Amino acid sequence: MLPPDDDWSCLMRAALAGDAAAYGRFLREVTPVLRGVIGARGRGLPRDRQEDIVQEVLLAIHAKRHTWAPDLPIRPWLYAIVRHKVIDAFRAGGRAVHVQIEDVEEVLAADMVSDPLAARDLAILIGQLDGRSAEIVRAVGIADETTEAVGARLGMTEGAVRVALHCAIKRMARFAKGARP
Amino acid sequence: MRTEDLIRHLAQEPARPSFDGARLAVLLLAVLVSVCALFLLLAGVRPDLGRALQEPILWAKPLLPAALCLIALRAAVLSARPGQPLGAWPRALVVPAAAAALLWLRAFALLPPDQRFAEVGPLSLSECLGLIPLLALVPAAVLVALLRQGAPVRPRLTGLLAGLAAGAGSATGYSLFCTRDNPLFFVTWYGLAILVVAAGTALAAPRFLRW
Repeated sequence: MLPPDDDWSCLMRAALAGDAAAYGRFLREVTPVLRGVIGARGRGLPRDRQEDIVQEVLLAIHAKRHTWAPDLPIRPWLYAIVRHKVIDAFRAGGRAVHVQIEDVEEVLAADMVSDPLAARDLAILIGQLDGRSAEIVRAVGIADETTEAVGARLGMTEGAVRVALHCAIKRMARFAKGARP
Repeated sequence: MRTEDLIRHLAQEPARPSFDGARLAVLLLAVLVSVCALFLLLAGVRPDLGRALQEPILWAKPLLPAALCLIALRAAVLSARPGQPLGAWPRALVVPAAAAALLWLRAFALLPPDQRFAEVGPLSLSECLGLIPLLALVPAAVLVALLRQGAPVRPRLTGLLAGLAAGAGSATGYSLFCTRDNPLFFVTWYGLAILVVAAGTALAAPRFLRW
């Protein structure tokens, strides 16, 4: 069975291999989903308490990141953790909560389509990547450098360059469908 | 602290080694073997072990609890990864239980009424119901401590499975000491002892499995 190929699994696999930038990106991408879930289920709570819970969940994901098996899809793992911690946090605040995270994520994904007329021009898509990913895609995809050469220049191993390239292409595919960077 | 700052801080931390279920299982089995070996050293293996092992039915005494232990252990380890499906492992627990039930029914059918429950008495019961849970205390505590390294999202289930593994593992060792060979005795009372350990761990473990 091939390892799961979606963008979050990609980022987290790189993160577990030591890629701090990929890990930061993963956490930043997950955070709006967390805010959505906690905002939806904890409507009565003040904003700063909601953000506290978001941070608690991020800390839990961080503390238990080593329990994700890279050959399994990441969303069930993530949702199980989020569900567990959100219920804990709300129970501590005296509310019973029944969390259906899949519903909330669909709502958020639909929300994230910013401009349906976003150009599929490659340069524009690359421009929406972070500096290092953009550099890698330009170097390997356009300037036709080898991954080793790029790795040597950026201080990364060839394997890390290939993983970063793969993740960047997946992100560009999402941008092309209209997701916000 | 702003969430962005938190994320930046978390991203800097080094990666941790992966949760290794196999290593955990081996550690727990080593603890079980050590506890049982110590017990058998002090209390003595049953003197007629050689003769007993020649009777196929008496292989069930150690093997059925051993199978239960390994299945429960596997399920417990899986339950420590969030979102991980437990697969057929919880259902597989039925297999040794059903085999034990069949043994019980067979013995019931074959034995004359006055011999069926002859071995039940205060001494035999307190030995069995006392020693198996006692032997299981340390393995159950160790297993729960090891499972804390994971992230169990159903702590009571994880506790139950851990208790089953520890209780069944201890029963396996105990069976090499016990000379009561009537399935109507050992299936009933080992079974009860294992369930007591499982229930106790299910009740006590969640407090220690929080994260």
